[in-house]
Amino acid sequence: MAVYYLGEFEELVLLTVAFLGDEAYGVSIQQDIETRCKRTISIGALHSTITRLEEKGYLKSWMGGATTQRGGRRKRYFEVTQAGKKAVTESKQLRDELWSLSKIKLAAIK
Amino acid sequence: MKSNPPKLARRIFEWYCGHAKVEDLLGDMEEWFHKTAEAESPSIARRKYWRHVLSLLFSYAIRKRKQQVNPGVYSHTSFSVSMLKNYFIVSLRSLYRYRYFSVVNIIGLSLGMSLSLLIITMFAFVKTYDNFHENKDRIYRVTTAYEKGVEKYTMASSPALLAEKLKTNLSGIELVTRIATNFRGEAMFQDNTIPLQGYYVDPEFLSMFSFDLAMGNKASALQTPNSILLTETSARKLFGDESALGKTIEFAGKGSFEVTGILKNLPKNTHFDFESLLPYSAREVTHTGDVIQYQQPFAYGLEFVYMLVKDKDQLPTIASYLDKIAGDVSAVSDATVDYELQPLTGINPGPDMIMMTGGFRQWDYTGFYIFGTICLLILLPACFNYTNISLARALKRAKEIGLRKTMGSARSQIFFQFIAETILVTTVSLVGALLLFFLIRGEFKSMIVFGDSLDLSIRGDTLLLLLVFAIVTGCIAGFAPAIFFAKLNPIQALKSQTSRRVFSGMSLRKGLSIFQFMLSFGFIVALIVFTRQYRYTMSYDFGFQKENVLDVELNGVDPNLFLSEYSKLSTVTSISFSDKVLGLYPVGDHSWMQVESKPDSLPVDGMFVDEKYINQFGLEFLAGKNFPGESWTHEQYMIVNETFLKTFGIASPLDAVGQIVRVDKQDLQIIGVVKDFQYATLHWPVKSFAFRMDPSRYNYAYLKVSFSDAYAGITEMETLWKTLGNQKRFHAAFLDTEIEGSFQNYTTLLKVIGYLGMLAISISLLGMLGMVVYTSETRTKEVGIRKVLGASVAGIAFILSKDYLKLMGWAFVLAIPIAFFVINKMLSSMQYYSVHLTVWDFLLGILTLVVLGISTISAQTIKTASANPAETLKTE
Repeated sequence: MAVYYLGEFEELVLLTVAFLGDEAYGVSIQQDIETRCKRTISIGALHSTITRLEEKGYLKSWMGGATTQRGGRRKRYFEVTQAGKKAVTESKQLRDELWSLSKIKLAAIK
Repeated sequence: MKSNPPKLARRIFEWYCGHAKVEDLLGDMEEWFHKTAEAESPSIARRKYWRHVLSLLFSYAIRKRKQQVNPGVYSHTSFSVSMLKNYFIVSLRSLYRYRYFSVVNIIGLSLGMSLSLLIITMFAFVKTYDNFHENKDRIYRVTTAYEKGVEKYTMASSPALLAEKLKTNLSGIELVTRIATNFRGEAMFQDNTIPLQGYYVDPEFLSMFSFDLAMGNKASALQTPNSILLTETSARKLFGDESALGKTIEFAGKGSFEVTGILKNLPKNTHFDFESLLPYSAREVTHTGDVIQYQQPFAYGLEFVYMLVKDKDQLPTIASYLDKIAGDVSAVSDATVDYELQPLTGINPGPDMIMMTGGFRQWDYTGFYIFGTICLLILLPACFNYTNISLARALKRAKEIGLRKTMGSARSQIFFQFIAETILVTTVSLVGALLLFFLIRGEFKSMIVFGDSLDLSIRGDTLLLLLVFAIVTGCIAGFAPAIFFAKLNPIQALKSQTSRRVFSGMSLRKGLSIFQFMLSFGFIVALIVFTRQYRYTMSYDFGFQKENVLDVELNGVDPNLFLSEYSKLSTVTSISFSDKVLGLYPVGDHSWMQVESKPDSLPVDGMFVDEKYINQFGLEFLAGKNFPGESWTHEQYMIVNETFLKTFGIASPLDAVGQIVRVDKQDLQIIGVVKDFQYATLHWPVKSFAFRMDPSRYNYAYLKVSFSDAYAGITEMETLWKTLGNQKRFHAAFLDTEIEGSFQNYTTLLKVIGYLGMLAISISLLGMLGMVVYTSETRTKEVGIRKVLGASVAGIAFILSKDYLKLMGWAFVLAIPIAFFVINKMLSSMQYYSVHLTVWDFLLGILTLVVLGISTISAQTIKTASANPAETLKTE
């Protein structure tokens, strides 16, 4: 377990990238997290987290083609790596395990 | 309309990121911007863009991306300690290797910086003014802005009547005190008399300001009308070692006062300057509280109002109340007045105000600006020298830079390396400058007003300030070379192809040198002219004999009594009387006279003298005779000067004698005409002048003396004075010394110009020396070849120096008109009778600078020129 440590926000970013698939780049990731979680996140914090995920090898990125909007600047697309997949899977397994072992009924509140 | 993201924010972001790859981030931010602009508004979008930029600037993401772009193996964007250490070592090595240039640079910068240290320490000290008062942040002074037609004053004073109004009508004020600075008197205790100056103040003064009492009680000290507080120094002067508390001091003409307290000596850093405090009620009130006196700004010229407010929130209320009073006053007078609040700590350094002299110390911004400009005029040339020499020697360092760049140095790193190197040099120079500073500090203090109250010692905080100064100087001096090296192309640098590019900065360097020479030349000419002016003034023929004349203030002693007593002294050969001091006539004091048969009344300067006066001073009669010696009953005659005749259109001195002049409602007859003489200082032209006779007007006695021992002679006179039954002190001075005293500012001016000139000249010569040494080093081979081909030593020396002589030539051409204009302006504003600039002043100036220049560089040029070509051509 200790090998793949993921912070809450890191996990959120990884999953969002996974959800967005081919369309995962800065703006779309931020927008998705903001609408889904109903919270504002700063662009600096998002990219710092992305950078750390890249350092850990959970994310990789490549530059897209030229665009017509955004001053012709290219987008940087992100993709979850094999290691990244492993990390979220382990994280999920850990949670599922804890869910199933829970002595009280957690899902009751709706 | 399509709007764009804020440019400034983008630029900052791009600048900060440098070469880091941030295209995607910029794109993301722009996308956000357009989204928000559409959904909400462009202004919100702009704000959001800024927020994004700031958020990213401080993020880990950017830091990481910046680290990734560095191409070199040894390179880091953030400065690592080992790199800084390397810079330091390389700097020291290069300073050591090129010792000669280092010394030239350090001496030049030390000289240039020494003057600036004065203004920095002075400003730092003046900044501390009045910061020791406990309530300093809540104390305010009421100042007056007065405007009447073209007359416009800002006065530190305001009507004392305001104090009463403020106290009774406003609740936000805790304490108010009136201050009148015009107490002057001769304090007497037993047989000791000293002149004493002081303030009239309200008792609140002591609780408002933090001036401690050494003895006495603050609460009761100023309660009775005839109480007085003395400072420790003045108490010691008057009472010696005796305790002063409770003693009674007599003031001639003012009554007796009881010492109710002793004030500790005032700190140096306060704008207050008093020796004693008296209750305001002791002040002789010359006017009563009606609106009329508000209209006369000088009627309350020496009244000041200070207040302690309860809370700063009250200030607008107080200000609007003062505005209301000012409005009322302006409404009934033909002038506009405005009362303003000035914080205590804003007085020094502060705006220039009148009414601050005689009782206050003022350091206004104007003075600092002027002095600051002079400091910059000296400092900048020193920085230019450094820039010049470093640029010229770029070739020597180019290899190092080329290598650094090849190994991955970024431009910014090279830039900072050179800036740091320069700062190292300026910091060393700071030590040299400090040594000079200690040498000139005392002289400087003695030259300026209130100089003795300045504390220019170097403390921790000032030292910090000086270090900052050294760093700033380093940045200025090192900027151009640092930019140059940063831009260096490594390929060219390693192939030693830079020399061509270095000299592209030639015109800038030439310009800087010309400016330096202009400055030096200007100072030399000024020194020549003002020395001439000083000599001219000192040897000016005033037209009367001023040697061996002692003038004594009568101070109310009866002239007849004085005459009979002092005639007995063996040292006195003759005595005469007058109402003013000859040679120091107070210009502007004139009476209106009308000559019979002419319609106009014209102003005429004049003095009341006795019949011996004119002969005693050796004035020459052109016509007529002296006042008659018989006993005086009423005014009948006057004696006039030549200009009087010209002014009134009288053809010849003989015609003038016998004419009747109407003055002061009486008719006087001209009985004599004397040659023109300089009755006022040289600042003023000789105008029409008339001697009149009236014993009741005499204020001064003039004693023609022949002392063998001046000190003994004067002591004898002083003893005699005491027997005359006058309580005032014996005041005597030699007339010639007194007149010379009015030209004291020349010695100061000459010293200042001399020192500044010395600095400017040394700095420009040092710069020239550095450049010559450098060029002769690089031209060794050329010189060798020239010699082989038959050039003479003198010819080569000339070739090596001619560039500099050409620069000097340009400097002369440019400086002469400027110097002519400035110096002429100064001369004519200084005094009416002055020397005139001549061609010779300029020629002498040119000669001096050329001789100084040639002698500075000749050693080097001759050395290079006389080197054996066989040696120089052989060595690489």
